[in-house]
Amino acid sequence: MTALRPDLAEKVNGTVRYGADLEAPGMLWGALVPAPVAHGRIRTVDLAPARALSGVVAIGAADLSKLVGGREGDALRPAFPHETIEYLHQPIAAVAAPTLALARAAARAVRVVVDPLPVVSDLESLFPAWPPPEASRSPAVAAHVHARRGDVEEAFRRAETVVRELYRTASVHQVALEPHACLAEVSGERWHVRTSTQSPFGVREDVASVLGIPESSIVVDGTWVGGGFGGKGSSFLEPWALLLSRASGRPVRLALTYREEFLLGRTTLPSVVRMETAVAGGRITARRVRLLLDVGTSLPGRDFATGYSIGFLLGPYRSPVFEVEGYAVRTNKPPFGPHRAPFAPQCAFVVESHLESVARAAGLDPVAFKADHLWRTGDSTPFGQTVADFGLPAALAAARTLADEWRRASVPGRGVGVAVGFWSTSTGAGGEAHLVLAPSGLRILQGEREIGSGSVLVGLAAVAERRSGIPRSRIRVEYADTSRAPYDAGVFGSRTVGALGRAVDEALVSLLGSLRARIGADGPISLAEEGEEIVVRAGERRWPLSELLTPAERAAGGIHAGGKHYGRAGTLDERVVVDGAFYPYTDFTGAAHVAEVAVDPATGAIRVVRYAAFHDVGTVIDAPSARAQVEGGVVMGLGTALTEEAIWSEDGRLLNAGLVDYRIPTLGEAPPIDVTFVEGYPGAGPFGAKGLGEPPIIPVPAAVASAVRAAVGAHATELPLTPERIARALKRPEP
Amino acid sequence: MTPVAIRLTVNGRPESLVDVPSGERLLDTLRWRLSLKGTKEGCRTGGCGACTVLVDGRSTLSCLTLAREVEGSEITTIEGVGRDGTGARVQEAFRAAGAVQCGYCTPGFVMALTGLLKERARADGFDALLEDLGGNLCRCTGYAAIVRAAAALRPGTGAP
Repeated sequence: MTALRPDLAEKVNGTVRYGADLEAPGMLWGALVPAPVAHGRIRTVDLAPARALSGVVAIGAADLSKLVGGREGDALRPAFPHETIEYLHQPIAAVAAPTLALARAAARAVRVVVDPLPVVSDLESLFPAWPPPEASRSPAVAAHVHARRGDVEEAFRRAETVVRELYRTASVHQVALEPHACLAEVSGERWHVRTSTQSPFGVREDVASVLGIPESSIVVDGTWVGGGFGGKGSSFLEPWALLLSRASGRPVRLALTYREEFLLGRTTLPSVVRMETAVAGGRITARRVRLLLDVGTSLPGRDFATGYSIGFLLGPYRSPVFEVEGYAVRTNKPPFGPHRAPFAPQCAFVVESHLESVARAAGLDPVAFKADHLWRTGDSTPFGQTVADFGLPAALAAARTLADEWRRASVPGRGVGVAVGFWSTSTGAGGEAHLVLAPSGLRILQGEREIGSGSVLVGLAAVAERRSGIPRSRIRVEYADTSRAPYDAGVFGSRTVGALGRAVDEALVSLLGSLRARIGADGPISLAEEGEEIVVRAGERRWPLSELLTPAERAAGGIHAGGKHYGRAGTLDERVVVDGAFYPYTDFTGAAHVAEVAVDPATGAIRVVRYAAFHDVGTVIDAPSARAQVEGGVVMGLGTALTEEAIWSEDGRLLNAGLVDYRIPTLGEAPPIDVTFVEGYPGAGPFGAKGLGEPPIIPVPAAVASAVRAAVGAHATELPLTPERIARALKRPEP
Repeated sequence: MTPVAIRLTVNGRPESLVDVPSGERLLDTLRWRLSLKGTKEGCRTGGCGACTVLVDGRSTLSCLTLAREVEGSEITTIEGVGRDGTGARVQEAFRAAGAVQCGYCTPGFVMALTGLLKERARADGFDALLEDLGGNLCRCTGYAAIVRAAAALRPGTGAP
């Protein structure tokens, strides 16, 4: 019997408290004052009408320096804009009041006078003749990246087959069900905030930077998190809530409405991608990729999205001769933000669909063509990183076998598709854990909050169980706020088990070493539960742990040990870089997915009938959680594939800011999902584990698109695959 | 909006509320007036189901229900549903199937499924009954574990 998650009972009974549930005696309710235009110069933000309401505190840009004691934050973007509004509903002031209704009335009462400026909403409108030679110098370009290797032009001249295609992808929102929420309480020089976050230490750092106060004055206490998916990865409401508490001298609760979640959300934004591939003798001889990525109001020089993403557009394929060029384009939308495997599902959709077109044009079987070009263990990526222990070829082989089986059983109107995706699971971000081993069990003290995947409460405990032999019922993973916990970067980048798990493992190895010395064992030892106590075992012999503790350790509650893991960042072959910053991927993992769909040829509506996912996971640390990650990631990916699209008007208004108009998958739309793990290709995590939080979403839109193509011959080049787009694609059948 | 006085029964306990704004939603009454925070606030527009409670045994979105509309009614929330045989079985099925990740949608799912089972628990219509859970969104699980939990409640399966 596998151990049940320790948080099951509380969550099923409804006793867990999330950020959105926080309250405190004497608390005020906060509200944000939204910008009335998507782009404009601020003439007046008059807070007097709000302040005239009884019990209302209102703050704006003019109050910032006074509230933080005359210091200036070093964040490029202050808490409130001083001069320029960059996107519609951008918070330009904040209010707090004894009731939420009064706070909202006060927010409405603020008088804002703005001179509107021209709004840029559609990235393609900026570059009608794209890609333009001078685009990298346009003020709308926040970042430009360019890399190449080999004689690309010559390879294209000599090609037998050249395929050029244009793809478009849509803006998708994280849709964590719990809205962002926090409760701030400032007293003297202590800035305390409880908040629903993936990264308490990240919030502390951001708040220090925005408010210009030292991190030592800030305490961030993470609450239970009602879903993150990247949207709760850095600070958001905390600086505003803290300023309101400072101004009022009271605790202040600030939470977004779900409408504001969409309006202010930092999400994946639209892209346009031009793909070109040259083939000769059945092999890819050159690739050329050009990307326009909408990054909203991301700050110039702070954009990581383009250099990070563009490598995913080459896919996990051997591409010795290539050129990639990407532009991060600023528009009047909220800043680009991470969304589970940021932009990788969109990239996989583009590269997988395109290579399918290339294979078809060359008269080759698409899946065989991809399998032939896939990276193998020991290969170098186009950017010069070594691909170590890569299980994706094995995953694809298994997926092909299953797809063939499904195809034989398929019926007209249905189709089976196969697609792959890769991911880099080491972020180089570090973390530490503090362990206390007592006769009653093991405590793991650390600074990450469980966000739902189980990576903290289940993953860390499973690593400890596997290393030590202590059963999970005697292992407790404990969270502490930033003033007490050892540092950890947070839950993102599929890194919890791989990085913080390594820290736990290192601490345990040192504990076991210390115990081995105490009993004078030369062989391996392990820990176990006997009766009510932990015992140390070496061969046939056993020692109760209580007899091995020093008096000082007894007084300290057990043997203490610390572990750290500061992951290596990858390296990059700088010779390929022409311009800009690229992200060095490391610790590669991948997945191959199989989808079967039924397409209604009259309406273009797609139903996913069944689904299978094969994941290179290194080593499975906890089977039920691993399976649950894949099931959840696949269905989230079906949203990206089929329905999810945040739509902006030309004047920068989000037209579908709510769950009724922005559709995520529902229970009836989720297909049965088979999950298979490919083990034996170890990663950098404990016991060879590779991260699994993000990979499951990556191949999904590509697999569905491939299945639709197989079913009815509709090659849609734009996400999501709405019935309208499929119906249009059906009017231009593939050769 | 004239404040009103409201009487209702919540989890078997009579509540007399005064000065309730006539536009106050049942969701806010439960969460902020009665401190029953197990009922979750999601979208407040009926799109996610996180706020589902039982009103006189029927599954109801508390965000789209005014407190004064349920005057005199019997309200059951996640805090009280375990005292009911069906509710306790649903909670146990969710635990046993591990049908929980972040848990934010869980109370709504437990309440909605309890309500549906009470209304029409017949084995032949069970799959249709599951589709009626389409109004409850979950972003973590892909619904797979939730469907496994619900399948254990199919009449005639004997479990749990």
